[in-house]
Amino acid sequence: MSSFRAAPRKGENFELSADLNSEYREKRKDAIKKVIANMTVGKDVSGLFPDVLKNMQTEDLEQKKLVYLYLMNYAKTQPELVILAVNTFVKDTDDPNPLVRALAIRTMGCLRAEKIIDYLCDPLQKCLHDDNPYVRKTAALCVAKLYDLKPELVVEHGFLETLQEMIADSNPMVVANTVAALTDIHQAAVAAGVSQEVFVITPTILNKLLVALNECSEWGRVAILTALSRYESPDDRESEHICERVVPQLQHANASVVLAAVKVLMIHMRHVHSENLMKQLVRKMAPPLVTLLSNPPEVQWVALRNVNLLLQKRPDILSNEMRVFFCKYNDPLYVKVEKLDIMVRLAGENNVDALLSELKEYASEVDVDFVRRSIKAIGQTAIKIDEAAERCVNVLLELINTRVSYVVQEAVVVMKDIFRKYPSTYEGVIPTLCANLDELDEPEAKASLIWIIGEYANKIDNADELLGIFVDTFTEESYPVQLQTLTAVVKLYLQKPEGSQGLVQSVLNTATKDCDSPDVRDRAYIYWRLLSTDPGAAKAVVLSHRPPISLPRMTVAPALLEELLSEIPTLASVYHKPAETFVGRGRIGVDSVQRKSSDLTDDRLTTQKALQTVAAGRQAENLLDFDDAGADDGQQPSGLAATTMLASTPAEANLLSGTSSNPLDDLVSIFGSVSMAPAAQPPPATNALGGFGSPIATSTPSVLQQPTSPQALQAPNDDLLGLF
Amino acid sequence: MAIDGLIILDATGRPIIQSGFRSNTPAYPLLHIDALNNAISKSSRPDDVDPVLYVSGASTEASSACCHVKHGELRFLSPVSGDMDPLYAFAFLQTFINILQEYFGPISAETLKDNFDVVYQLLEETLDAGGHPLTTSPNALRDIVLPPSFLTKVLSVAGVSGLASPSANSHPFASPIPWRKAGVRYNNNEIYFDVLETLQAVVNKNGTPAVSSVWGRVDCNCKLSGTPDLLLTFSNSQNLNDACFHPCVRLQRWARDRTLSFVPPDGHFELMKYRYAPASTTTQHQVSVPFALRVAAINIDENGGTFDLALTSRLTTRPLENVSVELFLGDGAAGANCVASHNASWNFDPKTLNLRWEIKSLPPSSTFSLRGSFTSNTKNPRPARAFRILFEIIQHSFSALKIEQLKLTGEQYKPYKGMRGRSTGDVEWRW
Repeated sequence: MSSFRAAPRKGENFELSADLNSEYREKRKDAIKKVIANMTVGKDVSGLFPDVLKNMQTEDLEQKKLVYLYLMNYAKTQPELVILAVNTFVKDTDDPNPLVRALAIRTMGCLRAEKIIDYLCDPLQKCLHDDNPYVRKTAALCVAKLYDLKPELVVEHGFLETLQEMIADSNPMVVANTVAALTDIHQAAVAAGVSQEVFVITPTILNKLLVALNECSEWGRVAILTALSRYESPDDRESEHICERVVPQLQHANASVVLAAVKVLMIHMRHVHSENLMKQLVRKMAPPLVTLLSNPPEVQWVALRNVNLLLQKRPDILSNEMRVFFCKYNDPLYVKVEKLDIMVRLAGENNVDALLSELKEYASEVDVDFVRRSIKAIGQTAIKIDEAAERCVNVLLELINTRVSYVVQEAVVVMKDIFRKYPSTYEGVIPTLCANLDELDEPEAKASLIWIIGEYANKIDNADELLGIFVDTFTEESYPVQLQTLTAVVKLYLQKPEGSQGLVQSVLNTATKDCDSPDVRDRAYIYWRLLSTDPGAAKAVVLSHRPPISLPRMTVAPALLEELLSEIPTLASVYHKPAETFVGRGRIGVDSVQRKSSDLTDDRLTTQKALQTVAAGRQAENLLDFDDAGADDGQQPSGLAATTMLASTPAEANLLSGTSSNPLDDLVSIFGSVSMAPAAQPPPATNALGGFGSPIATSTPSVLQQPTSPQALQAPNDDLLGLF
Repeated sequence: MAIDGLIILDATGRPIIQSGFRSNTPAYPLLHIDALNNAISKSSRPDDVDPVLYVSGASTEASSACCHVKHGELRFLSPVSGDMDPLYAFAFLQTFINILQEYFGPISAETLKDNFDVVYQLLEETLDAGGHPLTTSPNALRDIVLPPSFLTKVLSVAGVSGLASPSANSHPFASPIPWRKAGVRYNNNEIYFDVLETLQAVVNKNGTPAVSSVWGRVDCNCKLSGTPDLLLTFSNSQNLNDACFHPCVRLQRWARDRTLSFVPPDGHFELMKYRYAPASTTTQHQVSVPFALRVAAINIDENGGTFDLALTSRLTTRPLENVSVELFLGDGAAGANCVASHNASWNFDPKTLNLRWEIKSLPPSSTFSLRGSFTSNTKNPRPARAFRILFEIIQHSFSALKIEQLKLTGEQYKPYKGMRGRSTGDVEWRW
């Protein structure tokens, strides 16, 4: 940025150099300030190093600080010159003023110059035992920095033991910094592959930590809470004890302390067996989470993401608090989106009316993106709560009557899902939907409406007319619409053969001759063959019963959820992805290495989990997918298999959601029936299955559970085999 | 648990001050600054930029995330790498902003540039090179970093800088209570409490609140000598929910009898925060909104629309002050023309496209009205579905929270006590 564009004017540094050597103290001090000012905005003032160094020995603490700041910045580039300053540093660690002592030891730790380090150990030893807590707490962190540069020095001088003793320090600030330093060293050691644990939390240390927890600063509390979440308690009583001691932290004013406490509770609650205590903990966890919503939107967002995650594990914590999640129209979009998600999660029979009137309100706002999400939420509510489905449909009808283009289109997409969940229940709505045919211009909305027409072709009088519109413009439509038109026309033909013969002929003709998508063409061929060989088989295939859909209660897989919950409130829990998927090395790397060393099989699990998240993330985009996480869990033998699984996921999602844009759809449902068929089925069928659609079929047990009669399926099987 | 550093950007997105980033490459902070500026320039509304940005690393570095907040025209960002708690970064940024305000009053790019040496010292004291926050309690900080004051300026001009240096206090952190400095002396011992309650509500078309909640805060300004131990009793404290406290408050005492027992820090601090929820179950914990907005008519036609509003106070004793009623007129709004009763003022902001009606003071039970029309360049404009109404009520609190008694032990003097209540509101009124 500015540092690169604006090269320092030659004259400026020259003048500063003169001022730094001035005989007047004030002039020198002003010059130092100017140097620092230039440094902070990224200008290069390293050329002034010797001149600044001359001003280091001074009584003026402020000036000393500024010079030290400068030194820290440029020590890396000028290590030889820093040696000149060593004597002053060492002398300063004996200064009567504790501020100077602390400053000197801190600066020496930050210099990161090899040559300084050899001089650091003795003063550090002294400062760790200083009378003044300020010096001690500064020295504690300095040990962590030294460990970063030269671990063997730390071990050699016994600094680790000193730190462990310092956990019992009388000053809570010192304790907090010591814990932070030990945690840093622990992570660095694990990253370096040191087998021996550096920071073991023994029951004695645990007690000290619990005592210090109530007395130190917010940052110290977070450090201690983080350490506590790492602790594995030997028995349940200790877990309960930790929970009880951590609960008061929920009332801290600092949001990061609150979430760190929630994390410790979630981890140690796994071992709490007392029903009573469990209830109490859950009850106490809710209010602070609500309080977080009075914070600025940034904090709200992080809090909401975490609440979202917590609700997946413990849906009961906020059951009575849905109203606080109502959106305000001037909330930033990222906050609104999270709130919507949480509102649907909290929806129940008792509050569904309030929720629906809210969602209807949102659907009339100006922000298109938010409006669409609100309408989706209405659909999700309809599918989640059977009793409220009718009310949801009525709200959707009202929205369709507004005739605002994007509202209508989104509502049509949502209606399709409602039809899938409650087949043959809301047919009265169909005329209204069809009346809006002309307004649809988005492929998804069009495809949804066509699906509905096809599905209810026998109940819509002018279905052939409506579908005819799409057949006429067949080649101009997008592929999903083409596929859907094709299927719908075939459905229509199978249900009302009279009068639609011409239509089906023309669509099959167009699809096989004029269409450039192989998917569309292939599906058309398959239909054609089916229809010409055995219309009965075609009926069984195309009009087969679809498995009902349900709202996934979880957007992340259960195994991943556990992992994420233990990482509350970190980036992983905010992104709802394991850390490995978005950060490569650095501190994360440390964690994953740690996990690997502790349990080799873990590694494979994390890859799987990562892939699952990606899959789950994609599906989250669709409104109503299956909770196939359970299916994924057991069925990924190795990394490679997991990859194929990933590739097939979108197809699978489409397949399951019924609006398949893939000809495999129908094939698979046949294969599904193959496995349902009586044991007399010849083995070749299984082979074909293995060769063709194995990754899909294996991961969709729901297809296999179709309640269709085997007798009806016999015929299509033969036919299909004939096809091959 | 550590953040990587802190960067302060001015309104144009250029860095004013940044911390050391000693363990990262020099490009690291620049990457983050660029990432944020890019994200802002790409998004249509700068406020909608995700508060945690993913920053992909340069070839040699791992990816990281950038947490940022806006304060006035300034942007404070904190890069974090590894699996960190973003709230930790946000909490630190907020704390640092509070410290800056404590030192300089309202902060802007100018104040920071003028006092960069103090800011830099503060940064060094509050954030360790490894990214651990250090001293953030204003009480302790004032011991180590002198606030810029007239006196220090005079002294430095006179060349007697030795006097001005804080080395006079050679025992920082010697106080046994971490949040309170030792040896405080005042001639007049005073303590003031400010109870500030904010009503946040969304009101439906029919005038019933969809949600309304009151968030309260007790701020304290303490000027007491020695180590006073205070016991504060409230009346009406049974309605305070979800309270969270400054670490000085003894939590067991609150849990037992709803009194606050604490040794206060010196100076300004936030004693507690709470949510007020009335006990009656019939109202679903809703607080009533102290006014009614009657939207007599909003007619939208091709190139604009007309409206007719009336705002009535439901209070009987106090006026509503600094009332502002805002309506976003929709994309393409070009201007408005209104008549406001009682000399209230109105204006249209062509930048935000908001129509704002401002009433200095709305007397009890009175009704003010605004009628007029607006024009728009887009056909059939779509104004926001809700008005946003901000107001203040002086010497009032929704919860009727009152301090019953303040007992002081541990010291001999009798302090002067003061308490003020103030309420503000941020209400969304749908039409």
